[in-house]
This record gives sequence, structure tokens and C-alpha cells, in this order.
Amino acid sequence: MRRLFQGLLLKLTGLGLLRVTLFSDTYLRYVKPGLRPVLIASGVVLLLLGIAAAFSRTGSEGHAPDDQEGHAHDGPEGRPHDGPGGHEGHDHSGTPRIAWLLVLPTLSLLLFAPPALGAYTAARSGAKPVAVQRKGFEPLPATSPLPLTLTDFTKRVQQDRSRAIQGRTVRLTGFVTPDPAGDGWYLTRIIFTCCAADSQTVKIHVHGSGSGSAGPPAADTWLAVTGTWHPAGTLGTGSAPAALDARRITPIARPINAFTDDLPVTPG
Amino acid sequence: MEKTDELVAAAEDVAVVPVPPPPSVRRPRPWPLGAAVLLAAAATAVVLLGGTGWLDRPAVGAWRTVCLAIVVQAMPFLVLGTVLSGAINAFVPADLFTRVLPKRAVLAVPVAGVAGAVLPGCECASVPVANSLIRRGVTPAAAFAFLLSAPAINPVVLTATAVAFPGNPAMIAARLLASLGTAAVMGWLWLWRGDEKWLRPALRHRHTGHTHGRSRWREFRIGFQYDFLQAGGFLVLGAMAAATFNVAVPRAVLDAFSGTPWLSVLFLAGLAVLLAVCSEADAFVAASLTGFSPTARLAFMVVGPMVDLKLIALQAGTFGRAFAWRFCTATTVVAVAASALTGGALL
Repeated sequence: MRRLFQGLLLKLTGLGLLRVTLFSDTYLRYVKPGLRPVLIASGVVLLLLGIAAAFSRTGSEGHAPDDQEGHAHDGPEGRPHDGPGGHEGHDHSGTPRIAWLLVLPTLSLLLFAPPALGAYTAARSGAKPVAVQRKGFEPLPATSPLPLTLTDFTKRVQQDRSRAIQGRTVRLTGFVTPDPAGDGWYLTRIIFTCCAADSQTVKIHVHGSGSGSAGPPAADTWLAVTGTWHPAGTLGTGSAPAALDARRITPIARPINAFTDDLPVTPG
Repeated sequence: MEKTDELVAAAEDVAVVPVPPPPSVRRPRPWPLGAAVLLAAAATAVVLLGGTGWLDRPAVGAWRTVCLAIVVQAMPFLVLGTVLSGAINAFVPADLFTRVLPKRAVLAVPVAGVAGAVLPGCECASVPVANSLIRRGVTPAAAFAFLLSAPAINPVVLTATAVAFPGNPAMIAARLLASLGTAAVMGWLWLWRGDEKWLRPALRHRHTGHTHGRSRWREFRIGFQYDFLQAGGFLVLGAMAAATFNVAVPRAVLDAFSGTPWLSVLFLAGLAVLLAVCSEADAFVAASLTGFSPTARLAFMVVGPMVDLKLIALQAGTFGRAFAWRFCTATTVVAVAASALTGGALL
């Protein structure tokens, strides 16, 4: 029974990994795209070894041989098997009981993939400190509205001494995080450094809701916002807020790989 | 990958001859079950409370996402590590390790530490590999030096550090030196003060890998299966703990601690333990902690790959609980001291 469970657990874990990588993009909720090949490879290895375990069980050996010559028992002294703990967990014969915990992520992967991080996480994390750009800034392209990433917009506002961003109409994309203070809302991106456990957040405060003033859009909606820098403080220094006066707001589809700070691709 | 094995040899003859354990040595060891039940209960409670509105649903969702993300992120490295450890057990000749390396354990420790550079993975891979090295007769001190250094000084991690700290080669050098130093000191400390009684019984009685009368393939498969299931279970346990911290304490709170230099070193070291960031990513996290001094960030990167919640769980499962808490405590102290010294000298 136990050995059946071992093989099954390997196979299920493998299948779970393959399901989220091979047959959907679900894995992008948890890790970066670059991990996909090794995740697939791990899934295949686990699946194959799980199948191998199932096949070896059909051989003549039943329960006994494994208990007799388990890995931990080669010593001449072989441990007696009495005591309250029985003989679980200390050699290679049984299933380590802790292995049952693997059922949770496996079922999660197979049946109930947890949701992507969103406004809840973003609201509770501090703004990502934007790296200081040492090299100075290129001149901005002349297109208008100018597509920028949230990180680039923040850098231009707070670090670009030439103030190239002044008066320019930019186009930013991200999802909505409500502002608890009630004044406007945040256009947000969550960026994975490695996986969802070490994500960082970039936020741009958005003033005005474009044409109508129907209040802030619902949390977690993906939007493209066209607008200009919201003047306050001194542009090009840290005192300038990363904020935008919105002119036009259009809903967009959630990007497949949502956890980067990529340029908006959709036109419009 | 096989180069790892050639380099990490050992002076096993110096090591302790297994003493037949008196029956009194056996302890009741219900803890994995206890912990598992406790955690399952806690998880159920969290989900139930979430359902009854005690915790809002997004928090539970975020917890599940973060927890699963840690498991998924670590899974390839865990598979790599357990496959490697299974292969070392089943296919590598037993005397390889004794032939290649210095016979004296004192010398084997630093060599094993440097050899950690060839295992291109994160900490989840190094635990099962170190385990199989011990089972293969490598002196535990050398295996522990390898265990500590491998996740911190391999090329992947050092490259990530270089990318995260552009134009700051001193940070890479400091990380390399402090990690190697900690690994070597811990190895020597084990030779000086370590006691094999702390290790799980299965590790104390070195078994010789390939058993007469069984096919090597079968040996490999069963070894892999056991190691993976065990380490995987503990990985989930550690991921749950780290996710709980991650969701319960918003990152914004942490920046409040960046004031005093000494406190910030200790604080970031503690944060590295709690956050359990993979060693391949921790440089980016460290780089983002801009409010803290370079030495504090170095401590984050030195402690993180050696001690964190999921590693403590993994080590407790692999080597035994008595070992894990002593070893992790000592490692934290040594690692903080090493980062403070290196950081003071280089940064």
C-alpha cells in the first residue's frame, strides 16, 4: 500500500509540473519563464521514475525484501524494530511520513492552481526602490503617446535632470491597486526577481480617471493609461512623485506573462 | 556534474568507526508526524478561518501562491539533487572519495568547500548530495563544508550576484570569501566539537551504497524515491513557514529597521532565515534592500543559502533534528561573524 503511494506521489507530482508548464501558462503565476525547460525536465523525470516504481512492484518481491535490505540496514548491528515509533521513517523501506505534505502542492498544481498575485500583495508591499541610473539618459523618442514601463517612468521623473519627460504624453500599462487614502489609485506592476515569493512592486499614482469621474476602477483590472506627469516637487529629483494625470484609460487584456515590467504592446 | 564526486573525497578512515548503538540510544522520534499533523491542522485552520471571514480571501490566495511558488521554484533543484545523490549512492565506486582527496580530515574540509563551486544549484540540491556523500563514507565535516559552500559560491549564483550588483566586484569577492570562510570554519568546528550522535542513526552506520544482490538501477531508483519524497515533504513544510512570514509581514515594515549598522546586519541575517529566498535569487533581493548598509546586505547573502526555514526543515529531515538545530544555530553565528569581518575589510 505504502509503496503504491510512493509511486503514485511521484507520478502525480510529475504530472502536476507538466500540467502547469506544458499544457498551460499557469507556471508564470509562480516563477519566471526561464524556468520552464527545467520544470518540464523535472516533471518528466518524476513521471518516469514513478512509472518505473509501479512496474518494479509487479515483480516477485512483495513487501519483505525491501524491509530486509533497506538502505539503512547493511550494518551488522541492524536495529531492532521495537519501541513506540515502530520502524517508520528511518530507513528506505517505508514512505517517510512527511512525504504526505507533498500531496498539498501536487493537488494544488493539478486541481486548484492558486491565483496570480494582485492588488492585495501590491498594496502591502513597499514601492520597489528604483535603481539609480548612472549613465545618464538617452533622449526620449518622439512618438506620442510614448510607451514607457513603470520603472522607466519613475526613473525619468525622479532621476532625469534634463527633464525630458516634462509635458510629454506617455502610455503606461499595469493593473489597479486602490489607494487607501482615497485620492486616485495606483497603476501597478508586480515583478518577480525569481519567483512569487520574492516579488517586488512598482506603483504609479494616477490622478483623475480620464473622461468620466466614476470613481477609481476596480482592483486588479488591467489598464492602459495615457497621460502626463502629475506636477509636484522638483522634476528630476527624488522629491518628484511618480504620479500621472490620466487623460485616457482603456482596459486591456491581462498579459500572459504579467510579472515583468514590459513595454505595453497593445496599440491604442 | 560527476566532477563533484571526484573532488569531494574524504579521509574516511580518520572518521569515526561506527559503534554499535546501545538500545538506549533510540529515541522516540515522532516529530515528523507531529509536525506534519500540526501543519496540516494549521493550514486547515487558516483555510477554514479564511472561509469564515476571519482572514480575507486574498490573504489565503496570496499565501497559497507564495507557498506553491517556493515549491515549484525549488522542485528542479530538488530533483537534480536527489537524482545526483541517488546516482552517487548507486553508481560511484565506494573508494573513489577516499582515493581522490586529502586523507586528513582537516585538509579535506577546505577542499570540499571549494569543490562546492561545481554544483550549479541552490540549497535544495546540496542537502541530498551532502547526505549521499556521508553515506558514501565522506567524513561529515567535509560533507558539511560542501553543503554550506555549494549553494553560495557556484558560478550561477556568483553570476547572479554580479548582475544584481553591477560595477561592484567587491561585493562578489566578499560573498565568495565570507561563504567559503563560513563553510570551512563550520567543517572544522564539526571536527572539533561535532558528535555523530546528533546524526540520524541511518547516517551513523555508513552503508556502502550498492548492496550485494540488488541491481544498481533498482538501488538508484529506491534511493531517489525515498530521498525525494522525504526532502520534498520537508520542502513543503519550509515553504509553508516562509509563505506565512512572507504574507503576514508586509515588506514595507522591514525598511523601518535600516537605521543602526549593527542592528541592520543582525536584522537582515534574520530576514534571510525567515524569507527563505532561493540562493540564485537572493542577490536581487539583497540589491533591492537599498536602505541597508553593504555589510548588512552581504550578511543577507551569506546567511541565506546556508540557513533558512526550508533548509532547517530539509536538514532536520535528512540529518536529524538534534543535528539541525545545533548546526543551524552555529552556522548563523559563524556566517554573521564572517560577513561582518569580510564586509568590514572589503566593502
